[in-house]
Order: sequence, then structure tokens, then C-alpha cells
Amino acid sequence: MELNSSTSDEQRIYARWLDWTARVGVAVLAGAFFLYAFGIVEPHIPLARLPELWSLPLDRYRELTGAPSGWHWLRFLDKGEYLNLIGVALLGLATIVCYLRLAVLLLRRGESLPAAIVVAQILVLLAAAANLIAAGH
Amino acid sequence: MKRTSIRAAALLFGLCLALPAAAAPVETGAVAWWVWPLGLFAFSFVLGVVAVLAGVGGGVLFVPLVGGFFPFHIDFVRGAGLLLALSGALSATPALLRGGLASLRLALPLALVGSITSIGGALVGFALPTNVVQTALGFTILGLAALMWFAGRSDYPTVAAPDALGAALRMHGVYHDPAAGREIEWRVHRTPGGLLVFAGIGVLAGMFGLGAGWANVPALNLLMGAPLKLSVGTSAFLLTVIDTSAAWIYIHRGAVLPMLVAPTIIGVMLGAKIGARLLRIAPARLVRRLVLWLLLVAGLRAVLKGLGIWN
Repeated sequence: MELNSSTSDEQRIYARWLDWTARVGVAVLAGAFFLYAFGIVEPHIPLARLPELWSLPLDRYRELTGAPSGWHWLRFLDKGEYLNLIGVALLGLATIVCYLRLAVLLLRRGESLPAAIVVAQILVLLAAAANLIAAGH
Repeated sequence: MKRTSIRAAALLFGLCLALPAAAAPVETGAVAWWVWPLGLFAFSFVLGVVAVLAGVGGGVLFVPLVGGFFPFHIDFVRGAGLLLALSGALSATPALLRGGLASLRLALPLALVGSITSIGGALVGFALPTNVVQTALGFTILGLAALMWFAGRSDYPTVAAPDALGAALRMHGVYHDPAAGREIEWRVHRTPGGLLVFAGIGVLAGMFGLGAGWANVPALNLLMGAPLKLSVGTSAFLLTVIDTSAAWIYIHRGAVLPMLVAPTIIGVMLGAKIGARLLRIAPARLVRRLVLWLLLVAGLRAVLKGLGIWN
């Protein structure tokens, strides 16, 4: 039986891409949080008001604060809390970016079955990221 | 010395939980806003230490304990728990892939199934009433505690012959085990059953924001016959995919509050670094017992809160 070495090229390349994308995401999140928590960037919701809001169910919280859903937070990037979402979104995009790189690698090698699985996975992740699945709430 | 360290860690953990419990009768608006994120950071730091020592992901302890003892609504706690599990897995996976302790070939089909169902789980979690989610979370945590108590582990399970699906998906390979000092050849069996179990794991991960390492490892190791170390490493990779899908649902719904998410992620990451250093000297059995007790307390608290007996 032909065996795969677990430290194949595809794993090394995937690891390198994941390492960088995840590091960037965490660094951006930490930096944005510093700006937000220390009031350097003005928040959408005053920080002192948070304790009366974070104990509410999500729907009620959004009703009271006008918090955006989907990708509409991109319009609020001048507000501290939504600046943080750039870091969160980068963490959510890290796996998609790595899967795209993996798909190219597998398609070049003509490995059709794993490539099909990877492409299907990319479509699922993109559908979730593009808000195609949760839309309409 | 070891026991003293563990007692100190348990005491610190208890103090972190006592902070919100002590403040609970007070009107939350009367407490300065920064007390809670700071308390969450301290809790997450200790959780990071304990999670590494016990070999569990942070999410499984974070969601029931923070949901039970902090004033944040469970919707936001689940979002933070999911991102905590995701960021931890994203940090750990590159080294595991490079070292051969995680297998892409083993993970790809399982991740696809788990990520689809985790989206479904997240959507169901938002559709259900809060008390139902709380109660179901409590029972899930209690079930997990039972699983940890009774389930065995097998370093190198015997797989006489791979099943047809596993062979077609090339779910086999070789990795170097430094502890054993040799190359370990592995293959899996019961792949259709494994796919089915990962579909269920995805639902729970998405619905409760728990991450899923606690279920991935026994499914890979005991059900599919992957070696234990490979199961642990591949589980981290699986988390990066399964939790990513569900995380997008939470982000789009607006259930990701940076004031909860950022202190949690930073606290757990710092704590995990300390935990990794303590790993050599900490008594693993004792820490694991501590985690079991914490899971029991957290599970009971979630059930009682969900049923309206102890709010």
C-alpha cells in the first residue's frame, strides 16, 4: 500500500500559510482592542453602557444598539468595536486562504478526489463568510 | 510541591469565578464596565493554563463556566467560546502539521462534513429559546464529563484492514513519533461511521460554541483507529475548519462582542504559554480530575440556570 508521509510538501505549505494568516489576525485583533479599550478610537456604544447591554439576548441587544448584521459592520470602521472585527474576520478568512492554496497544489498534481473535497470545502466556507446561509435574519 | 501548585491553581480559578458570583446580587450597572473584561481576562488566563495541563480545548470549559458565572448573555458567550477555540487551534496547527502530528488527508473529508453541520448547529442555536440552549448545554457538558471519565485511550490502535472508503480517500500514512523513537504507520477503519460522528460533533460545536477537541480525539482514536498523538494533532486542524464555518454565522448575526472576545483570546493565549511550561512538572491526573469536577459544576449550573432553578 502506498503511504502518505504526514510531513508532505502540502502540509508544510499549508502550515506556512496558516501560520502567517493566523498571526496577522491575532496581531490586528490585539492592536484594535488596545485602541478600543483605551478610548483612542471612539466606540459606537459608550463603554460605560456595556454592562447593561451584554446580559441581553442578541436580538434585544441589536434592537437597542442598532448593531449591524452581515458585512454591514464595514461601514462602522471608524468605531472602536467594529475595528476589532477586522481581526476577527482575518481569523475567519485564514482557513479559506489556506484551502485555496491547497486546491491549487492538488489540482496541479491531478489529484482529483482530494481536490474536489477541498473545492467543496472552500464553497461551504465562502458561503458562510459571504453570509449566504444566514441571510434573512 | 506539585499538589500545592495545583491547589493554588484551583484556588485562583475559584477566585476568578467568585468575582462575578459575589457581584451578582449587585446591579450590574453599578459595577465599573472594565471590571468584567478584566475578570474575564484573568479567568481566561487561568483557563489557558488549566486547559493545556488537562489536554482539553478551552472552549469546552469557557462556555459553561462564563455562561454560568459571568453576567454576559449566553449568545455572546458562545460567540466568544467559538473564537477562543478557533484562535487556539489556528495557533497550534502549523507546528502540528510541520511535525507530522496532524494529517491533512485524514482531516479533509471529516472537516467538510463537520463544517457543514456546524453551520446548521449555529443556526439552530440562534433559533432556540435561551433556556433550551442553556439546558441542552448543561446536559452536553455532563455527558462530556462522563465520556472523559469512562472512555479509554489507545496509543496505537490495531486496524487490521482499512475500509474501502478510507482507502479510497487515502486516509493512511506514516509519522515519526519522537517519544517512541520510530516511524508509526497508520490507517483507519469505520470511515462511514466516523463521518457520521463528525456530523454530530459539528452540530454541537456550532450550537454551543464549544470547539470540538473533546469529541474529535475519541472519534479519531477509538472509533476510527488513528494513533492517539495523530488524533490529538488532527483534531486541532479539524477545529480550524469546523469552527471557522460556525464562527461566520456568529459574526454575521452580531454575536461577537469585541469586549468579550479580545480579552478572552489574549488571556487564554498567554495562559497557554505558562501552561506549556508547567506541563513537565504538573501532575496530569490531578489536573484532569480538577477539570472533571469543573465540568460537573459547570454542567449542573447550566442545567439549573436553563430550568430556571438557579438564575
